Amino acid sequence: MGQLTVLEGGLFTTVQDAGRFGFRKYGVPISGAMDELSYKNANELVQNPRGNPVLECTLIGGSYRFNSPACIAITGGNMEPEINEISVNQDETIFVKKGDVLTLKSASRGCRTYIGISGKWNLKPILGSFSTNVQSKFGGIDGRTLQAGDVLQWQEASIKPSFNFLPKDQISYYSSKITIELEEGPEFDWIDKELKEKLFNSSFLLGSKSNRMAIRLESDIPVNAPIEQMKSAPVMPGIVQLPPNGKPIILMKDAQTVGGYPRIGIISDYYLSVLAQIPPNGIVRFKKRDA
Amino acid sequence: MMSTSFQFNDISWEVKRFGATAWLVEPRNCKEILKNIHQLTNYLEQSSSNVIIDIIPAYNSIAIFLDKSSLSLIDVISDIQKKEVFNISESPNTHIVKVCYELGLDWNVVTTHIGISKEAVIELHLQQKYEIAMMGFLPGFVFLEGMDARILVPRKENPRIAIPTGAVGIGGTQTGFYSLESPGGWQIIGRTPDKYFDVHNNPPTYLQAGDAIVFERISEDEFHLLEK
Repeated sequence: MGQLTVLEGGLFTTVQDAGRFGFRKYGVPISGAMDELSYKNANELVQNPRGNPVLECTLIGGSYRFNSPACIAITGGNMEPEINEISVNQDETIFVKKGDVLTLKSASRGCRTYIGISGKWNLKPILGSFSTNVQSKFGGIDGRTLQAGDVLQWQEASIKPSFNFLPKDQISYYSSKITIELEEGPEFDWIDKELKEKLFNSSFLLGSKSNRMAIRLESDIPVNAPIEQMKSAPVMPGIVQLPPNGKPIILMKDAQTVGGYPRIGIISDYYLSVLAQIPPNGIVRFKKRDA
Repeated sequence: MMSTSFQFNDISWEVKRFGATAWLVEPRNCKEILKNIHQLTNYLEQSSSNVIIDIIPAYNSIAIFLDKSSLSLIDVISDIQKKEVFNISESPNTHIVKVCYELGLDWNVVTTHIGISKEAVIELHLQQKYEIAMMGFLPGFVFLEGMDARILVPRKENPRIAIPTGAVGIGGTQTGFYSLESPGGWQIIGRTPDKYFDVHNNPPTYLQAGDAIVFERISEDEFHLLEK
């Protein structure tokens, strides 16, 4: 049995997998890794099956002592990973020894870093998923972020993974400034021409209240958002809502299942992964997606 | 040209794209919208289709999420309709939900806004038979349809950060209850000791959209006895 002890949990580290599906009619968010591309890479590099859980670190990664040898991979945002205070490469398989301490510092690029560990994690799935839903306090480790003293265990894979790395052209470059394609949402036509122009010609700041439920955008530009009321309607990660204060909300993986704000846009899974790596105060612009 | 509607219950349902792998369907020219939405949801759930991965029935529409390999909802539904016929239950289950109104948190706001006594509000709240319109926004939140318009109170401008498990609230024209502790903007008028949502069970609740709910008043002593 492989094992690690959390020495420092970082800012917001949770267990995530591909998500919790089939329970949205009961109001259960899908959750799952915010950056699906890096999540997938982390599991592939350690030759885990699809859908295996990983650790998702946010902004500051934390520190982990391995109590047994392990095969791991670090993907996503750059938190300057070190093992025993010596810097190690991301995006490739790392073989750690018993007693090694992995440390992930503040993200110098990107926002979320993933740690994949080879083997079958010793966790209990909740409604078919290992993903942590911190808002509702279930999944992962007791439905919360990792804390110092937590122990994670896994059943090692029967075949030891071989060294593996991501080809250079598959490594994402994380900027703090991006342009996202927006498809028209069901209530797109509730906003007038002037507001549509503002939406596609403004720079928005990624607000500090953003989290796994939603990215909240800030803007200096006064907008007169539609005040028309609507009855709660289905939403999902990728929906862009426009509340009356005119500040767009992009729903992310822990998003609620229904909502009452106009759904002016939809962004694709690819752009959701990209957005998951934009740090607070990063700049977001929208461009129209051709239908 | 791809068809953008289908027939179910002799109603035409419009299909709209909702991102790359999901679809929104809305009944057209139909009187009992909620009832039809629940029946279509029920029908699709009974089908053996394995490409539907999630369904969200809401007030005016249903979101249907398909497996990434499926391209068209219309094809999926016509496939189901060709192969399978199901009985749709016409008499939904009725659940009795016990409420202790003494544990309400917002009686001052509620009685001031409505202008009648607490007892009068309770009487109006108790006398209706409600329908579960939908569940969500968060796990286990139950939206009920059918509240007496005389006890309409707007939602809070600043939502509470934490509402206790089992809180019964009113907001706008709706009433409902919070099965798990969560943030929320409704005015809290009572609390139920019963647990209606548990993620350790699958499904996590035995309530279904379309079921009927009747409230039954209990005292504070009874609440504490039943809690746990």
